[in-house]
Amino acid sequence: MTECLTNKKVLTKGNYAIANAAVLAGCQCYFGYPITPQSEIGEFMSGKMQELKRGYVSAESELAAINMTIGAVSTGVKAMTSSSSCAVALMQEGLSYAATDELPVVLVSVMRGGPGLGNIYPSQGDYFQATKGGGNGDYKLIVLAPSTVQECVDLTYKAFYLAQKYRNPTVLLADGLLGQMMEPVEFYEYPYPEIDTSSWALTGAKGRDGRIIRSYGPLADDRCVFLEKLYAKYNTIEENETQWEEINTEDADIILVSFGSTSRNVKTAMKMLREKGIKAGFFRPITLYPFPSKRLHELSQNTKKFITVEVNMGQMVNDVRLAVNGKCPVELINKGVGVPPSAKEIVTRVEDLL
Amino acid sequence: MSEKNFIIAGFGGQGVLLAGEVLANAFMLAGKNVTWYPSYGAEMRGGTVNCEIVESDEDVSEVNKPDADFIVALNQASFDRFLSKIKKGGWMIANSSLIKEIKTRTDINYLFAPINKLAEEVGNIKMANILALGLTAKVSKLVTLDNLIQALDIVIPPHRKNLLPLNIKALKIGYEYDLLPV
Repeated sequence: MTECLTNKKVLTKGNYAIANAAVLAGCQCYFGYPITPQSEIGEFMSGKMQELKRGYVSAESELAAINMTIGAVSTGVKAMTSSSSCAVALMQEGLSYAATDELPVVLVSVMRGGPGLGNIYPSQGDYFQATKGGGNGDYKLIVLAPSTVQECVDLTYKAFYLAQKYRNPTVLLADGLLGQMMEPVEFYEYPYPEIDTSSWALTGAKGRDGRIIRSYGPLADDRCVFLEKLYAKYNTIEENETQWEEINTEDADIILVSFGSTSRNVKTAMKMLREKGIKAGFFRPITLYPFPSKRLHELSQNTKKFITVEVNMGQMVNDVRLAVNGKCPVELINKGVGVPPSAKEIVTRVEDLL
Repeated sequence: MSEKNFIIAGFGGQGVLLAGEVLANAFMLAGKNVTWYPSYGAEMRGGTVNCEIVESDEDVSEVNKPDADFIVALNQASFDRFLSKIKKGGWMIANSSLIKEIKTRTDINYLFAPINKLAEEVGNIKMANILALGLTAKVSKLVTLDNLIQALDIVIPPHRKNLLPLNIKALKIGYEYDLLPV
Protein backbone atom coordinates (compact mmCIF):
# COMPACT_ATOMS: atom_id res chain seq x y z
CA MET A 1 0.00 0.00 0.00
CA THR A 2 2.95 2.31 -0.42
CA GLU A 3 1.07 4.27 -3.05
CA CYS A 4 -1.44 5.38 -0.41
CA LEU A 5 1.28 6.75 1.85
CA THR A 6 2.32 9.67 -0.29
CA ASN A 7 3.06 12.00 2.63
CA LYS A 8 1.13 14.64 0.77
CA LYS A 9 -2.49 15.53 0.49
CA VAL A 10 -4.68 13.78 -2.04
CA LEU A 11 -8.19 14.77 -3.05
CA THR A 12 -10.51 11.84 -2.55
CA LYS A 13 -14.10 10.85 -1.82
CA GLY A 14 -15.14 9.87 1.69
CA ASN A 15 -15.94 6.35 0.53
CA TYR A 16 -12.50 5.86 -1.02
CA ALA A 17 -10.88 7.40 2.06
CA ILE A 18 -12.64 4.85 4.29
CA ALA A 19 -11.73 1.92 2.04
CA ASN A 20 -8.13 3.04 1.69
CA ALA A 21 -7.79 3.53 5.44
CA ALA A 22 -9.27 0.09 6.10
CA VAL A 23 -6.63 -1.46 3.87
CA LEU A 24 -3.89 0.51 5.63
CA ALA A 25 -5.33 -0.54 8.99
CA GLY A 26 -4.62 -4.12 8.02
CA CYS A 27 -8.12 -5.25 7.10
CA GLN A 28 -7.57 -8.78 5.77
CA CYS A 29 -11.08 -9.52 4.53
CA TYR A 30 -13.91 -7.44 3.09
CA PHE A 31 -17.43 -8.72 2.52
CA GLY A 32 -20.15 -6.55 1.05
CA TYR A 33 -23.11 -6.08 -1.21
CA PRO A 34 -23.38 -2.83 -3.22
CA ILE A 35 -25.78 -0.05 -2.24
CA THR A 36 -25.76 3.68 -2.89
CA PRO A 37 -24.30 5.88 -1.42
CA GLN A 38 -21.40 3.65 -0.33
CA SER A 39 -20.73 1.46 -3.38
CA GLU A 40 -17.26 2.97 -3.95
CA ILE A 41 -16.06 1.16 -0.82
CA GLY A 42 -16.78 -2.23 -2.35
CA GLU A 43 -15.49 -1.07 -5.73
CA PHE A 44 -12.14 -0.04 -4.24
CA MET A 45 -11.88 -3.21 -2.18
CA SER A 46 -12.69 -5.45 -5.15
CA GLY A 47 -9.47 -4.30 -6.82
CA LYS A 48 -7.14 -3.55 -3.94
CA MET A 49 -7.79 -6.64 -1.80
CA GLN A 50 -7.07 -8.95 -4.73
CA GLU A 51 -3.95 -7.01 -5.60
CA LEU A 52 -2.73 -7.48 -2.01
CA LYS A 53 -3.81 -11.14 -1.94
CA ARG A 54 -6.30 -10.44 0.84
CA GLY A 55 -9.91 -11.58 1.00
CA TYR A 56 -12.73 -9.94 -0.96
CA VAL A 57 -16.16 -11.46 -1.36
CA SER A 58 -19.06 -9.83 -3.15
CA ALA A 59 -21.68 -11.39 -0.92
CA GLU A 60 -25.07 -12.58 -2.15
CA SER A 61 -26.85 -10.47 0.48
CA GLU A 62 -26.21 -8.25 3.48
CA LEU A 63 -27.13 -11.13 5.78
CA ALA A 64 -24.38 -13.15 4.19
CA ALA A 65 -21.93 -10.21 4.36
CA ILE A 66 -22.31 -9.62 8.09
CA ASN A 67 -22.11 -13.33 8.87
CA MET A 68 -19.04 -13.76 6.66
CA THR A 69 -17.46 -10.89 8.59
CA ILE A 70 -18.33 -12.60 11.87
CA GLY A 71 -16.68 -15.77 10.58
CA ALA A 72 -13.53 -13.97 9.50
CA VAL A 73 -13.00 -11.93 12.68
CA SER A 74 -13.56 -15.02 14.84
CA THR A 75 -10.22 -16.28 13.49
CA GLY A 76 -8.50 -13.19 14.89
CA VAL A 77 -7.95 -11.23 11.65
CA LYS A 78 -9.26 -7.74 10.97
CA ALA A 79 -12.28 -7.78 8.68
CA MET A 80 -15.08 -5.44 7.73
CA THR A 81 -18.30 -5.00 5.86
CA SER A 82 -19.99 -1.83 4.66
CA SER A 83 -23.52 -0.91 3.74
CA SER A 84 -26.26 1.68 4.02
CA SER A 85 -29.46 2.18 5.99
CA CYS A 86 -32.09 -0.23 4.67
CA ALA A 87 -29.39 -2.84 4.10
CA VAL A 88 -27.76 -2.27 7.49
CA ALA A 89 -31.24 -3.10 8.78
CA LEU A 90 -30.73 -6.60 7.42
CA MET A 91 -27.52 -6.93 9.45
CA GLN A 92 -29.05 -6.28 12.87
CA GLU A 93 -29.33 -9.93 13.84
CA GLY A 94 -25.65 -10.44 13.01
CA LEU A 95 -24.63 -7.40 15.02
CA SER A 96 -26.45 -8.69 18.10
CA TYR A 97 -24.66 -12.02 17.71
CA ALA A 98 -21.30 -10.31 17.19
CA ALA A 99 -21.85 -8.21 20.32
CA THR A 100 -22.62 -11.21 22.50
CA ASP A 101 -19.91 -13.33 20.86
CA GLU A 102 -17.60 -10.37 21.59
CA LEU A 103 -16.27 -10.27 18.06
CA PRO A 104 -14.42 -7.27 16.59
CA VAL A 105 -16.63 -6.75 13.55
CA VAL A 106 -16.14 -3.40 11.79
CA LEU A 107 -19.21 -2.10 9.97
CA VAL A 108 -19.17 1.04 7.87
CA SER A 109 -22.69 2.45 7.69
CA VAL A 110 -23.12 5.26 5.16
CA MET A 111 -26.56 6.63 5.96
CA ARG A 112 -29.22 7.48 3.33
CA GLY A 113 -32.85 8.49 3.59
CA GLY A 114 -35.35 6.17 5.26
CA PRO A 115 -37.47 4.55 6.54
CA GLY A 116 -38.03 1.54 4.30
CA LEU A 117 -36.28 1.75 0.96
CA GLY A 118 -36.27 5.54 1.42
CA ASN A 119 -33.93 7.30 -0.99
CA ILE A 120 -30.25 7.71 -1.70
CA TYR A 121 -29.77 11.22 -0.31
CA PRO A 122 -27.77 12.05 2.82
CA SER A 123 -29.48 11.49 6.15
CA GLN A 124 -28.75 10.98 9.83
CA GLY A 125 -31.84 8.85 10.30
CA ASP A 126 -29.87 5.83 11.51
CA TYR A 127 -28.59 7.35 14.73
CA PHE A 128 -31.01 5.09 16.58
CA GLN A 129 -30.20 2.10 14.40
CA ALA A 130 -26.48 2.44 15.20
CA THR A 131 -26.61 3.48 18.85
CA LYS A 132 -29.71 1.67 20.10
CA GLY A 133 -29.56 -1.31 17.82
CA GLY A 134 -32.22 -3.28 16.00
CA GLY A 135 -30.93 -6.62 17.18
CA ASN A 136 -32.26 -8.44 20.22
CA GLY A 137 -31.06 -8.30 23.77
CA ASP A 138 -28.83 -6.04 25.84
CA TYR A 139 -25.84 -4.99 23.78
CA LYS A 140 -23.97 -1.93 22.62
CA LEU A 141 -21.96 -1.15 19.53
CA ILE A 142 -19.13 1.35 19.60
CA VAL A 143 -20.20 4.08 17.15
CA LEU A 144 -17.84 6.65 15.61
CA ALA A 145 -19.16 9.61 13.58
CA PRO A 146 -16.76 11.40 11.21
CA SER A 147 -17.52 14.94 10.04
CA THR A 148 -14.82 15.39 7.38
CA VAL A 149 -13.16 13.15 4.83
CA GLN A 150 -9.95 13.32 6.89
CA GLU A 151 -11.90 12.03 9.87
CA CYS A 152 -13.19 9.19 7.67
CA VAL A 153 -9.54 8.09 7.58
CA ASP A 154 -8.74 8.79 11.25
CA LEU A 155 -11.86 7.11 12.61
CA THR A 156 -11.61 4.08 10.30
CA TYR A 157 -8.22 3.36 11.88
CA LYS A 158 -9.75 3.90 15.28
CA ALA A 159 -12.71 1.63 14.51
CA PHE A 160 -10.40 -1.31 13.82
CA TYR A 161 -8.40 -0.58 16.96
CA LEU A 162 -11.34 -0.20 19.34
CA ALA A 163 -13.11 -3.23 17.87
CA GLN A 164 -10.13 -5.43 18.64
CA LYS A 165 -9.15 -3.74 21.91
CA TYR A 166 -12.58 -4.35 23.41
CA ARG A 167 -13.65 -7.31 21.28
CA ASN A 168 -16.76 -5.35 20.41
CA PRO A 169 -18.46 -4.67 17.08
CA THR A 170 -17.77 -1.11 15.99
CA VAL A 171 -19.67 1.07 13.54
CA LEU A 172 -18.24 3.92 11.50
CA LEU A 173 -21.39 5.99 10.98
CA ALA A 174 -20.96 8.25 7.94
CA ASP A 175 -23.61 9.56 5.54
CA GLY A 176 -24.17 10.10 1.84
CA LEU A 177 -22.72 13.58 1.92
CA LEU A 178 -19.42 12.41 3.43
CA GLY A 179 -19.34 9.31 1.28
CA GLN A 180 -19.79 11.23 -1.96
CA MET A 181 -17.88 14.45 -1.29
CA MET A 182 -14.19 14.96 -1.93
CA GLU A 183 -11.72 16.74 0.29
CA PRO A 184 -7.94 16.74 0.59
CA VAL A 185 -6.77 14.05 3.01
CA GLU A 186 -3.53 12.62 4.27
CA PHE A 187 -3.09 8.90 4.74
CA TYR A 188 -0.56 7.69 7.25
CA GLU A 189 0.51 4.41 8.78
CA TYR A 190 -1.92 2.68 11.15
CA PRO A 191 -1.16 4.53 14.38
CA TYR A 192 -2.43 2.00 16.94
CA PRO A 193 -0.73 -1.01 18.53
CA GLU A 194 -1.68 -4.42 17.17
CA ILE A 195 -3.91 -6.37 19.55
CA ASP A 196 -3.01 -9.94 20.44
CA THR A 197 -6.02 -12.11 19.66
CA SER A 198 -4.35 -15.45 20.39
CA SER A 199 -6.15 -15.99 23.72
CA TRP A 200 -9.56 -16.29 22.09
CA ALA A 201 -9.34 -16.55 18.30
CA LEU A 202 -10.34 -19.73 16.52
CA THR A 203 -7.09 -20.73 14.92
CA GLY A 204 -7.31 -24.51 15.01
CA ALA A 205 -6.97 -26.51 18.23
CA LYS A 206 -3.54 -27.98 17.48
CA GLY A 207 -1.66 -28.23 20.76
CA ARG A 208 -4.42 -26.75 22.84
CA ASP A 209 -8.01 -27.41 23.90
CA GLY A 210 -10.76 -26.59 21.47
CA ARG A 211 -12.65 -23.31 21.76
CA ILE A 212 -16.25 -22.43 21.06
CA ILE A 213 -17.53 -18.93 20.35
CA ARG A 214 -21.30 -18.89 20.70
CA SER A 215 -24.12 -16.64 21.81
CA TYR A 216 -26.27 -19.37 23.38
CA GLY A 217 -26.56 -19.20 27.18
CA PRO A 218 -29.07 -21.83 28.33
CA LEU A 219 -28.85 -21.25 32.11
CA ALA A 220 -30.43 -18.07 33.48
CA ASP A 221 -27.88 -17.57 36.26
CA ASP A 222 -24.89 -18.03 33.95
CA ARG A 223 -26.40 -15.58 31.50
CA CYS A 224 -26.80 -12.99 34.25
CA VAL A 225 -23.11 -13.33 35.08
CA PHE A 226 -22.23 -12.97 31.41
CA LEU A 227 -24.33 -9.83 30.99
CA GLU A 228 -22.82 -8.27 34.12
CA LYS A 229 -19.37 -8.87 32.65
CA LEU A 230 -20.44 -7.50 29.27
CA TYR A 231 -21.77 -4.33 30.89
CA ALA A 232 -18.63 -3.96 33.01
CA LYS A 233 -16.78 -3.85 29.66
CA TYR A 234 -19.19 -1.19 28.39
CA ASN A 235 -18.47 0.86 31.54
CA THR A 236 -14.76 0.68 30.78
CA ILE A 237 -15.42 1.79 27.21
CA GLU A 238 -17.49 4.71 28.48
CA GLU A 239 -14.74 5.76 30.88
CA ASN A 240 -11.88 5.48 28.41
CA GLU A 241 -13.12 6.13 24.92
CA THR A 242 -15.70 8.90 24.99
CA GLN A 243 -14.61 11.53 22.47
CA TRP A 244 -16.07 14.89 21.48
CA GLU A 245 -15.17 18.33 20.16
CA GLU A 246 -16.31 21.54 21.83
CA ILE A 247 -15.74 25.19 20.95
CA ASN A 248 -16.77 28.33 22.82
CA THR A 249 -18.77 26.37 25.39
CA GLU A 250 -17.31 27.92 28.53
CA ASP A 251 -19.28 31.18 28.44
CA ALA A 252 -22.08 29.97 26.15
CA ASP A 253 -25.73 30.81 26.77
CA ILE A 254 -26.78 28.33 24.11
CA ILE A 255 -24.86 25.26 23.00
CA LEU A 256 -25.50 23.79 19.56
CA VAL A 257 -25.04 20.02 19.52
CA SER A 258 -24.55 18.19 16.25
CA PHE A 259 -22.71 15.15 14.88
CA GLY A 260 -21.29 14.03 11.54
CA SER A 261 -21.47 16.07 8.35
CA THR A 262 -24.24 18.32 9.69
CA SER A 263 -21.90 19.63 12.37
CA ARG A 264 -19.82 21.43 9.72
CA ASN A 265 -22.65 23.88 9.00
CA VAL A 266 -23.51 24.07 12.69
CA LYS A 267 -19.96 25.13 13.55
CA THR A 268 -20.23 27.90 10.95
CA ALA A 269 -23.63 28.91 12.35
CA MET A 270 -22.10 29.14 15.84
CA LYS A 271 -19.44 31.54 14.51
CA MET A 272 -22.12 33.64 12.77
CA LEU A 273 -24.15 33.82 15.99
CA ARG A 274 -21.04 34.96 17.90
CA GLU A 275 -20.53 37.73 15.33
CA LYS A 276 -24.08 38.83 16.08
CA GLY A 277 -23.23 39.02 19.79
CA ILE A 278 -25.10 35.84 20.74
CA LYS A 279 -23.06 33.69 23.09
CA ALA A 280 -23.28 30.40 21.22
CA GLY A 281 -21.15 27.32 21.75
CA PHE A 282 -20.57 24.22 19.65
CA PHE A 283 -20.50 20.63 20.85
CA ARG A 284 -19.91 17.61 18.62
CA PRO A 285 -20.03 14.04 19.89
CA ILE A 286 -17.43 12.05 17.93
CA THR A 287 -18.27 8.78 19.68
CA LEU A 288 -22.06 8.36 19.58
CA TYR A 289 -21.59 5.35 21.81
CA PRO A 290 -20.08 5.98 24.26
CA PHE A 291 -22.07 9.23 24.25
CA PRO A 292 -20.47 12.23 26.02
CA SER A 293 -23.35 12.45 28.51
CA LYS A 294 -21.14 13.33 31.46
CA ARG A 295 -19.64 16.36 29.73
CA LEU A 296 -23.05 17.54 28.50
CA HIS A 297 -24.34 17.24 32.04
CA GLU A 298 -21.45 19.36 33.32
CA LEU A 299 -22.12 21.99 30.66
CA SER A 300 -25.82 22.07 31.55
CA GLN A 301 -24.92 23.61 34.93
CA ASN A 302 -23.81 26.86 33.29
CA THR A 303 -25.63 27.18 30.01
CA LYS A 304 -29.21 28.30 29.39
CA LYS A 305 -30.19 26.05 26.52
CA PHE A 306 -29.06 23.23 24.25
CA ILE A 307 -30.20 23.00 20.65
CA THR A 308 -29.44 19.87 18.66
CA VAL A 309 -29.26 20.11 14.88
CA GLU A 310 -29.90 16.89 13.00
CA VAL A 311 -30.88 15.62 9.56
CA ASN A 312 -33.59 13.29 10.84
CA MET A 313 -36.82 13.80 12.75
CA GLY A 314 -35.01 14.19 16.09
CA GLN A 315 -32.96 11.28 17.41
CA MET A 316 -29.77 12.41 19.18
CA VAL A 317 -31.86 15.10 20.88
CA ASN A 318 -33.17 12.34 23.17
CA ASP A 319 -29.68 11.43 24.37
CA VAL A 320 -28.90 15.09 25.00
CA ARG A 321 -32.11 15.39 27.03
CA LEU A 322 -31.17 12.32 29.09
CA ALA A 323 -27.71 13.77 29.71
CA VAL A 324 -29.04 17.19 30.69
CA ASN A 325 -31.77 15.56 32.82
CA GLY A 326 -34.05 18.58 32.97
CA LYS A 327 -31.39 21.04 34.06
CA CYS A 328 -32.17 23.30 31.07
CA PRO A 329 -34.29 23.12 27.93
CA VAL A 330 -33.11 21.01 24.98
CA GLU A 331 -34.61 21.98 21.63
CA LEU A 332 -34.34 20.57 18.14
CA ILE A 333 -33.60 22.08 14.74
CA ASN A 334 -33.98 19.45 12.08
CA LYS A 335 -34.60 18.53 8.49
CA GLY A 336 -35.93 15.11 7.53
CA VAL A 337 -33.49 14.11 4.82
CA GLY A 338 -30.98 15.61 2.38
CA VAL A 339 -28.02 17.94 2.69
CA PRO A 340 -27.90 19.72 6.06
CA PRO A 341 -29.70 23.05 6.53
CA SER A 342 -27.45 25.98 5.55
CA ALA A 343 -25.56 27.87 8.24
CA LYS A 344 -27.75 30.90 7.57
CA GLU A 345 -30.93 28.87 8.02
CA ILE A 346 -29.61 27.40 11.26
CA VAL A 347 -28.85 30.92 12.53
CA THR A 348 -32.39 32.08 11.71
CA ARG A 349 -33.96 29.06 13.37
CA VAL A 350 -31.75 29.45 16.46
CA GLU A 351 -32.84 33.10 16.73
CA ASP A 352 -36.48 31.97 16.55
CA LEU A 353 -35.86 29.72 19.55
CA LEU A 354 -34.26 32.42 21.72
CA MET B 1 -12.86 35.05 5.43
CA SER B 2 -11.97 34.46 1.83
CA GLU B 3 -14.21 31.72 0.48
CA LYS B 4 -15.62 31.25 -3.02
CA ASN B 5 -17.75 28.54 -4.53
CA PHE B 6 -18.32 27.28 -8.04
CA ILE B 7 -21.03 25.14 -9.59
CA ILE B 8 -20.26 23.36 -12.81
CA ALA B 9 -23.37 22.02 -14.51
CA GLY B 10 -24.39 20.38 -17.76
CA PHE B 11 -25.54 17.18 -19.44
CA GLY B 12 -24.40 13.85 -18.07
CA GLY B 13 -21.51 12.91 -20.37
CA GLN B 14 -20.12 16.44 -20.76
CA GLY B 15 -17.46 15.78 -18.12
CA VAL B 16 -18.97 18.04 -15.49
CA LEU B 17 -17.82 15.99 -12.48
CA LEU B 18 -14.36 15.50 -13.94
CA ALA B 19 -13.94 19.22 -14.58
CA GLY B 20 -14.94 19.87 -10.98
CA GLU B 21 -12.43 17.32 -9.76
CA VAL B 22 -9.67 19.03 -11.74
CA LEU B 23 -10.63 22.43 -10.34
CA ALA B 24 -10.76 21.08 -6.77
CA ASN B 25 -7.34 19.45 -7.19
CA ALA B 26 -5.93 22.74 -8.48
CA PHE B 27 -7.13 24.52 -5.33
CA MET B 28 -5.61 21.78 -3.17
CA LEU B 29 -2.31 22.19 -5.00
CA ALA B 30 -2.49 25.93 -4.28
CA GLY B 31 -2.68 25.09 -0.56
CA LYS B 32 -6.37 25.94 -0.19
CA ASN B 33 -9.00 24.02 1.70
CA VAL B 34 -11.53 22.69 -0.76
CA THR B 35 -14.61 20.50 -0.99
CA TRP B 36 -16.20 18.87 -4.04
CA TYR B 37 -19.75 17.64 -3.85
CA PRO B 38 -21.66 16.09 -6.76
CA SER B 39 -25.32 15.80 -7.50
CA TYR B 40 -25.60 12.04 -7.27
CA GLY B 41 -28.41 9.63 -7.74
CA ALA B 42 -30.42 8.95 -10.83
CA GLU B 43 -27.97 10.86 -13.05
CA MET B 44 -27.36 9.41 -16.47
CA ARG B 45 -25.94 10.29 -19.86
CA GLY B 46 -28.13 13.01 -21.29
CA GLY B 47 -29.64 13.96 -17.92
CA THR B 48 -28.49 16.96 -15.90
CA VAL B 49 -25.58 16.76 -13.53
CA ASN B 50 -23.66 19.27 -11.44
CA CYS B 51 -21.02 19.58 -8.79
CA GLU B 52 -20.09 22.25 -6.31
CA ILE B 53 -16.53 23.25 -5.47
CA VAL B 54 -15.87 25.45 -2.44
CA GLU B 55 -12.38 26.87 -1.89
CA SER B 56 -11.36 28.63 1.29
CA ASP B 57 -8.34 29.93 3.18
CA GLU B 58 -9.91 28.56 6.35
CA ASP B 59 -12.08 25.48 6.96
CA VAL B 60 -14.78 25.33 4.30
CA SER B 61 -17.79 26.85 6.07
CA GLU B 62 -20.43 24.64 4.47
CA VAL B 63 -20.97 22.17 1.67
CA ASN B 64 -23.86 22.65 -0.77
CA LYS B 65 -24.27 26.37 -0.25
CA PRO B 66 -27.55 28.09 -1.04
CA ASP B 67 -25.83 30.46 -3.53
CA ALA B 68 -22.71 30.57 -5.69
CA ASP B 69 -19.98 32.98 -6.79
CA PHE B 70 -19.43 31.31 -10.16
CA ILE B 71 -21.71 29.15 -12.27
CA VAL B 72 -20.35 27.30 -15.26
CA ALA B 73 -23.34 26.26 -17.37
CA LEU B 74 -22.62 23.91 -20.24
CA ASN B 75 -26.24 23.53 -21.38
CA GLN B 76 -29.48 25.55 -21.40
CA ALA B 77 -31.13 23.56 -18.58
CA SER B 78 -28.21 24.33 -16.28
CA PHE B 79 -28.27 28.02 -17.24
CA ASP B 80 -31.98 28.25 -16.45
CA ARG B 81 -31.69 26.32 -13.21
CA PHE B 82 -28.71 28.09 -11.69
CA LEU B 83 -29.07 31.69 -12.91
CA SER B 84 -31.01 32.72 -9.81
CA LYS B 85 -28.43 31.09 -7.53
CA ILE B 86 -25.59 33.45 -8.49
CA LYS B 87 -24.60 35.98 -5.85
CA LYS B 88 -24.90 39.65 -6.74
CA GLY B 89 -21.71 40.58 -8.60
CA GLY B 90 -20.99 36.89 -9.33
CA TRP B 91 -20.40 35.30 -12.73
CA MET B 92 -22.35 33.19 -15.18
CA ILE B 93 -19.95 31.45 -17.53
CA ALA B 94 -22.15 30.02 -20.26
CA ASN B 95 -21.63 27.75 -23.24
CA SER B 96 -23.22 29.85 -25.99
CA SER B 97 -23.00 26.90 -28.40
CA LEU B 98 -26.00 25.50 -26.52
CA ILE B 99 -27.33 28.49 -24.53
CA LYS B 100 -29.25 31.55 -25.72
CA GLU B 101 -27.47 34.82 -24.93
CA ILE B 102 -30.17 36.42 -22.84
CA LYS B 103 -29.17 38.54 -19.84
CA THR B 104 -32.26 38.61 -17.64
CA ARG B 105 -30.32 39.51 -14.49
CA THR B 106 -28.50 42.82 -14.50
CA ASP B 107 -26.71 42.42 -11.15
CA ILE B 108 -24.29 39.70 -12.29
CA ASN B 109 -21.52 39.34 -14.87
CA TYR B 110 -21.87 37.14 -17.93
CA LEU B 111 -19.36 35.39 -20.12
CA PHE B 112 -20.94 33.74 -23.14
CA ALA B 113 -18.39 31.70 -25.09
CA PRO B 114 -19.02 29.08 -27.80
CA ILE B 115 -17.36 26.37 -25.74
CA ASN B 116 -18.44 23.43 -27.91
CA LYS B 117 -17.27 25.18 -31.07
CA LEU B 118 -13.93 26.10 -29.53
CA ALA B 119 -13.47 22.51 -28.30
CA GLU B 120 -14.18 21.18 -31.79
CA GLU B 121 -11.51 23.53 -33.10
CA VAL B 122 -9.08 22.06 -30.55
CA GLY B 123 -9.87 18.70 -32.13
CA ASN B 124 -12.31 17.00 -29.77
CA ILE B 125 -15.69 18.22 -28.52
CA LYS B 126 -15.11 16.19 -25.35
CA MET B 127 -12.57 18.86 -24.33
CA ALA B 128 -15.42 21.34 -23.73
CA ASN B 129 -15.36 20.76 -19.98
CA ILE B 130 -11.65 21.49 -19.64
CA LEU B 131 -11.87 24.44 -22.00
CA ALA B 132 -14.57 25.84 -19.71
CA LEU B 133 -12.14 25.50 -16.80
CA GLY B 134 -9.66 27.68 -18.68
CA LEU B 135 -12.35 30.34 -19.03
CA THR B 136 -13.23 29.97 -15.35
CA ALA B 137 -9.62 30.41 -14.27
CA LYS B 138 -9.31 33.58 -16.35
CA VAL B 139 -12.55 35.10 -15.11
CA SER B 140 -12.20 34.17 -11.43
CA LYS B 141 -8.48 34.92 -11.06
CA LEU B 142 -8.58 32.39 -8.20
CA VAL B 143 -6.64 29.55 -9.76
CA THR B 144 -3.49 29.47 -11.89
CA LEU B 145 -3.03 27.75 -15.22
CA ASP B 146 -0.02 25.91 -13.75
CA ASN B 147 -2.07 24.42 -10.92
CA LEU B 148 -4.79 23.38 -13.36
CA ILE B 149 -2.24 21.65 -15.60
CA GLN B 150 -0.79 19.79 -12.60
CA ALA B 151 -4.33 18.90 -11.51
CA LEU B 152 -5.09 17.47 -14.98
CA ASP B 153 -2.04 15.25 -14.61
CA ILE B 154 -3.37 13.98 -11.25
CA VAL B 155 -6.94 13.38 -12.41
CA ILE B 156 -6.36 11.85 -15.84
CA PRO B 157 -5.77 8.12 -15.21
CA PRO B 158 -2.63 6.38 -16.51
CA HIS B 159 -4.39 4.68 -19.43
CA ARG B 160 -5.68 8.05 -20.68
CA LYS B 161 -2.44 10.00 -20.35
CA ASN B 162 -2.23 10.22 -24.14
CA LEU B 163 -5.05 12.77 -23.89
CA LEU B 164 -3.12 15.05 -21.51
CA PRO B 165 -1.57 17.29 -24.23
CA LEU B 166 -4.97 17.85 -25.87
CA ASN B 167 -6.52 18.68 -22.48
CA ILE B 168 -3.76 21.18 -21.75
CA LYS B 169 -4.30 22.74 -25.17
CA ALA B 170 -8.03 23.08 -24.46
CA LEU B 171 -7.30 24.60 -21.06
CA LYS B 172 -5.03 27.21 -22.64
CA ILE B 173 -7.49 28.06 -25.43
CA GLY B 174 -10.08 28.72 -22.73
CA TYR B 175 -7.66 30.72 -20.64
CA GLU B 176 -6.55 32.82 -23.55
CA TYR B 177 -10.05 33.41 -24.91
CA ASP B 178 -10.51 37.09 -25.58
CA LEU B 179 -12.77 38.41 -22.86
CA LEU B 180 -13.01 41.89 -24.39
CA PRO B 181 -16.24 41.36 -26.32
CA VAL B 182 -18.06 40.47 -23.09
